[in-house]
Amino acid sequence: MANPENKNFFAKIGEKCKALWESFLALFKKKEAQEVAAETQSGEVFVGKELTAKEKFLRFLKAEQGWLFVTPALILLAVFTFYPIVNAFIRAFQENYNPLSPTKYTGIGFENFVRVLKGDTGTGGATFLQCLVNTTIFTFVSVPLSTLLALLISVALNSIKALQKAYQTILFLPYLTNSLAMGAVFATFFTIVGTKNSTDTVGLVNIALGWFGIEPIDWMKGGKGFVWTIGQIRIPWTKYVVVIVYEIWSGLPFKILILFSALQSVNKQYYDAAKIDGASKSKTLWKITTPLIMPMISYLLITGIMGGMKQYTSIVGLFGEQMGIDYDMGTMVGYIYRYISNGQMGYAFAGSLLLFVIIMIFTVINLQASKKKVTY
Amino acid sequence: MKITIQNLTKKFPARNKKGKEVVAVDNMSIEIPSGKLVGLLGPSGCGKSTSLFMISGLESPTSGKIFFDDQDVTTLAAERRGVGLVFQNYALYPHMTVEGNIMFPLTNMRLPKEEAKQRALEAAQLVQIEDLMQRKPSELSGGQQQRVAIARALVKMPNVLLLDEPLSNLDARLRLQTREEIKRIQRETGITTVFVTHDQEEAMSICDIMVVMKLGVVQQVGAPQAIYDNPTNLFVANFLGTPPINIFEGEVKSGKIYIGDEAVLDTEVPDQKVYVGIRPEGFIYDENGAFSLNLDHIEVMGRDKTIVTAHGKSQKPTVRSIIDSDIYVNDQSPVVKFNLKPNKVFLFNAETEERIR
Repeated sequence: MANPENKNFFAKIGEKCKALWESFLALFKKKEAQEVAAETQSGEVFVGKELTAKEKFLRFLKAEQGWLFVTPALILLAVFTFYPIVNAFIRAFQENYNPLSPTKYTGIGFENFVRVLKGDTGTGGATFLQCLVNTTIFTFVSVPLSTLLALLISVALNSIKALQKAYQTILFLPYLTNSLAMGAVFATFFTIVGTKNSTDTVGLVNIALGWFGIEPIDWMKGGKGFVWTIGQIRIPWTKYVVVIVYEIWSGLPFKILILFSALQSVNKQYYDAAKIDGASKSKTLWKITTPLIMPMISYLLITGIMGGMKQYTSIVGLFGEQMGIDYDMGTMVGYIYRYISNGQMGYAFAGSLLLFVIIMIFTVINLQASKKKVTY
Repeated sequence: MKITIQNLTKKFPARNKKGKEVVAVDNMSIEIPSGKLVGLLGPSGCGKSTSLFMISGLESPTSGKIFFDDQDVTTLAAERRGVGLVFQNYALYPHMTVEGNIMFPLTNMRLPKEEAKQRALEAAQLVQIEDLMQRKPSELSGGQQQRVAIARALVKMPNVLLLDEPLSNLDARLRLQTREEIKRIQRETGITTVFVTHDQEEAMSICDIMVVMKLGVVQQVGAPQAIYDNPTNLFVANFLGTPPINIFEGEVKSGKIYIGDEAVLDTEVPDQKVYVGIRPEGFIYDENGAFSLNLDHIEVMGRDKTIVTAHGKSQKPTVRSIIDSDIYVNDQSPVVKFNLKPNKVFLFNAETEERIR
């Protein structure tokens, strides 16, 4: 969309539309003037008159003129959102889709979905189910923890007076940092470089663990002892820990920003009332403060889960383009991207449709759950 | 429970370096007997709400002490004082039902749930809102919210009940009804109650004891009627009574009070410049009276009538005198004459504004 050619193109379309609209307006004005003149001359009420087809059409246009105003937006949406969605939907059912072949596809059916779900795509690396498990665990561990942590930090921030603004700025800074750069930094925190037992070459995390007498672990590589296997799903938990810690940390700034401003807007009198009612500090936090800012918390959870299910760059930042060893840390978006780039687009379409459905399901559940809890 | 306040002072620091420190409450010493309904009365900004919040523990005093009976509670945290407080705009928790709001103080006392429910119901019955228990505060009218706030304050059976401007958010009719309600609840429970108001009528109608304040300083403490009949200074005399007292610039010369050229009343006060305060009901209509005023108009109220007059020495443009509606007043004459009831006439020092007589 940022393409300058496109911009010109739409500017032209905009001008065309404007010109068209002005000619319409002129037409209406003329018509109206004629009608008024006719009415004043004959004295009869216009409503009862028979209308010609052209008049009817113009009347309809006038009544529905709102549509004309939204047309530019609708055109943009149609080109860049609706068409791709519908297209992906159709392509997902076309087997062996290849834009370069004269027939484009070999058949229509659920073959893509079956193969994606079975992991039978003819390409090595993590299956869709593996990616689904990865993404779901990352999201559902990191988003609630991150929100909880953000809540506690915002409450702490809200209760200090000195340097509040300075702390607020510092806490928000990570939000401005590139996620690839952050990923690279986190990777060095957790990694081991060089020989395994030399404390000089381990990352910060291993140094900290060393203080408690724990042997350095190569979190970024995992290895044999650090993988749980459930059927075909492999969970290299050390890498999971890295991702989850990273996700929690990188999710904090925005959540703190939102929750802190929500806290500031809570009427202080509720805290006074809670004091008079003899509520302890923790009870005030959980029974008064949290419910009062629940709309914001639920907003963060819903958007956090939606964003978490679509995460991609953070994994690339941590584990590189291969997303771990042979995509074993792959996310669903990573899976889709992999099949777009290797030409097996049918699987990418099927995967994105599945991702769409999964996000939809979680969002609907979220909204239903929050309806009961959030309003007051 | 008896509340004793000794030399209580609250200073708020200046906002910035140029600003001035604000003394909200200045050396306040009063004693509130157990089981009484006490009103803190004064114009806005007189420190009455600050005093209330210091009693509740939400504000800590700069100096001075507060005792509940013999216990010094000056440094005790609000949550441990066991007071009930009704906030000016009620501060009901919007996410809880009425029942949840009333039960909240009890859950903090770790009462069993059944007992808490029972007590919440009793408190609700006391303020007659037992039908509204499952509603949310946003579904209640102002008057109902206020009752919930009172029930929440009463449910833990506090030693002291504090009300901050309890009637200010209600409409006129509801205000009359609610102030009687507060009086009834206070009588039924026998809880020592302190409430804050700027409405002297409200305070006079329900208080056992009234504390009149001005700019953080207590002016007078006593029963409403006693203060009305014997104000200590011009401010108190002016603040109490509707219509307000009429103030004239006057002078005492050789045993007589002069307003303008007329000697209106005898007195034993030595000669000096004074302010003469005359209550509206202190006028006796008399065609040969000693005090003559220029008639403006007459307002007939049915039960009595108000003669609105003007006088050059009056502080206000109009002077209001209330007389019996049976008395015939000649409304054609430009001047009306009165004699004065000696017990309704107060003299104040022209400089200190303290009461002389």
